[in-house]
Amino acid sequence: MDNIVGTKSRLVWAVNLCALALVLLWTFPTFGLLVSSFRDRDQITASGWWKAMFPAEASLQYRAPAPDSAKLVDGLYVLEGNVFEGGAGKVSAFGTSIREPGAHEVGSSVDAGDGATLTVLENGDFTITSASAMEGSRGMRIFATTVTPARFTVENYDRVLGAEGLGRAFLNTLTVSIPATVIPILVAAFAAYALAWMEFPGRALIVAGVVGLLVVPLQLALIPLLKLHNDIGIGKNYIGIWLAHTGFGLPLAIYLLRNYMVGLPREIIESARVDGATDFKIFLRIILPLSFPALASFAIFQFLWTWNDLLVALVFLGNSADQLVMTGQLKNLMGSRGGDWEILATSAFITIAVPLVVFFAMQKYLVRGLLAGSVK
Amino acid sequence: MKSRYFMGAAAFALLAGAAQAQELKFAPGEDARFHWDSFEALKATDLKGQSLKIDGPWGGVDKELFESVIAYFEAATGADVEYSGGDGFEQRVMIDVEAGSPPGIAVIPQPGLAADLAKRGKLAALPAETADWLKENYAAGQSWVDLATYAGPDGAKALYGMFYKVDVKSLVWYVPENFEDAGYEVPTTMEGLKELTAQIVADGGTPWCIGLGSGPATGWPATDWVEDMMLRNNTPADYDAWVSNEMKFDDPKVIAAIEDFGSFARVDANVAGGAGAVGSTDFRDSPKGLFASPPACYMHRQASFIPSFFPEGTVVGEDADFFYFPAYEGKDLGKPVLGAGTLFVVTQDSPVAQAFMKFLQSPIAHEIWMAQSGFLTPHKGVNTEAYGDPTLKKMGDILLGADTFRFDGSDLMPGAIGAGVFWTGMVDYTAGKDAAAVAADIQKTWDSIK
Repeated sequence: MDNIVGTKSRLVWAVNLCALALVLLWTFPTFGLLVSSFRDRDQITASGWWKAMFPAEASLQYRAPAPDSAKLVDGLYVLEGNVFEGGAGKVSAFGTSIREPGAHEVGSSVDAGDGATLTVLENGDFTITSASAMEGSRGMRIFATTVTPARFTVENYDRVLGAEGLGRAFLNTLTVSIPATVIPILVAAFAAYALAWMEFPGRALIVAGVVGLLVVPLQLALIPLLKLHNDIGIGKNYIGIWLAHTGFGLPLAIYLLRNYMVGLPREIIESARVDGATDFKIFLRIILPLSFPALASFAIFQFLWTWNDLLVALVFLGNSADQLVMTGQLKNLMGSRGGDWEILATSAFITIAVPLVVFFAMQKYLVRGLLAGSVK
Repeated sequence: MKSRYFMGAAAFALLAGAAQAQELKFAPGEDARFHWDSFEALKATDLKGQSLKIDGPWGGVDKELFESVIAYFEAATGADVEYSGGDGFEQRVMIDVEAGSPPGIAVIPQPGLAADLAKRGKLAALPAETADWLKENYAAGQSWVDLATYAGPDGAKALYGMFYKVDVKSLVWYVPENFEDAGYEVPTTMEGLKELTAQIVADGGTPWCIGLGSGPATGWPATDWVEDMMLRNNTPADYDAWVSNEMKFDDPKVIAAIEDFGSFARVDANVAGGAGAVGSTDFRDSPKGLFASPPACYMHRQASFIPSFFPEGTVVGEDADFFYFPAYEGKDLGKPVLGAGTLFVVTQDSPVAQAFMKFLQSPIAHEIWMAQSGFLTPHKGVNTEAYGDPTLKKMGDILLGADTFRFDGSDLMPGAIGAGVFWTGMVDYTAGKDAAAVAADIQKTWDSIK
């Protein structure tokens, strides 16, 4: 690096450290979310995601079979079973009272009340024996301190996409965001060319107007626009939300694309004109291919914004299963499944998966997009 | 490449989201507990080809349960009813009403919100005979009518809504076997409850799980505590005066009730995680402490809906049970019960909407939900044998055996108070702010909106 002209800042390592810290800050929670989404509820309650690879120690409550199902063996009433119910794990201590869930060592026989004796082995097998008949339809509780091996499952995804309706919502979100990205680009590309390269009176005023619209908060327009949609018969459906997103996205789209197109070399366009090309031909053959980076970067912005949007969807779409977008479904899940972290982590990860793919696949355009219009 | 990924996901979603035909949960005519005659009578109404949209706050499990009730209305009348409720209902209904695309019927949990809509002329009044019917057929009918009677845009008072599905709030949940293991008895007086609290602390345990977290509505569980304490320290007349602000919010009686709540929630040893955790624990997470091993707490005061948030597989009545949040023995105020309910209002009048309101008067509309879970009704004409589990019946008995029944005060107060500063004020209080200062702040806001 010594051959670079100019002096290297001594603070370059500080910049690098900051960048690293920011990257960690950004990827760490995402990674945690990903790991959590593959764990089941018991594991999430028992330990944090960073312990997912290790065997987890947890306290387990197991309800023994009903006393009246006891079998008579050699004159003793016996109940048998396994506290893991087919799962794997090791018991390190057990107890019969919630006050002392780990009072006894594995393998020991303890008094379980009413003349019964309880033994729990390390592999989870337990035996309750009693000399007299046991009564009741409710089994006793066995408390155990257990060590269970690391375990990952895709059940959460199965459940969330199916029963919790996120699969349908995913489709709805796609139905919203793809047209809501394509339509404004189509309109804005034409408008931007006209504003950049066609001479007509009032052009500067229109550009100023577009810039002015950039600062109008869209929240102002929500209810009047919905009222208009209801009056002209569109109502609450996909056409309505495409139009709304198009309207809200257009000022930025036109502004970005115009600034980019203005920066294209005048000579190319003029020589095309001299050769007799019409405006439409110039736009199609010259401007559009050259503007690809700006188009792509705006597409990314618009797609991410419509994908993550909740407010506009809440207003312009209904709340029924065939119209509920993913952010709305996620919000509903927060209400009805607020305590079920495995469901929420999985849903959240599905929701951010597409933005992540878009981001990583089209990173270079995103950076160019940030600079579009600011640098000539 | 990416488009193929989308296609795969889309195809999967299509399969997963295939329309599920709603079937009738209980075959008509089979179970003798139900009033099938009212279902048969409904068949006289022919509404084929008409559709109705209902919006409300119920999502998840409650949504499925309500849809199972709607299925009977659809089966009998041929109408097409779509319920599309869920979180954020309050905002949604305001947007839809403002923009001129209201649902046919709205299910409103706060009478205050309904009164506001009625005043702006956004609700259709119910026929006069509905009020008479309610007085006749609902337990404490007059009070349900009063709660749903509002001034219209012209100032004339009329009945605008009908309560369907009520909740009892004065309940304390516990795990009977934990009580058994520790040798505790269910207290029947407030003095006894306070003694038990002290004893659990002395035994090294934590008596209460209290969580106020609820997203933007954080703090509401504490308002229920304070309302319960108001009813246990003061007369019902005082309670009504407080709700209507005839008694100021910073009245010594109100401050005493807040401090009575504080005697549970503001003592570190009393609450799982210490008093500091009260404001930040989500109300849906907090009952889980009851079922931990060793238990994070022994008791949890919450309304009748909370079993929906118990760990999966919990059998209410066996794994978990509840007792009435007791009254002071020494104060001679009887057994007050705090409750809440959801109000059905017609937001866009149509024959099918009116027919649905009529359907809600029939016993079968109540019994279908009763026979499943989480539903209580003041309807006297239903067969209480239909309750799906014995605990619901026990709750129903608490409701019917109450000396005083009062509606959740914060739902009756203006939105800026009952769904605003009362919530945030209680969070401040549990975080250590002085009760008198909190009450004075709330009163100041109330003065400013008058």
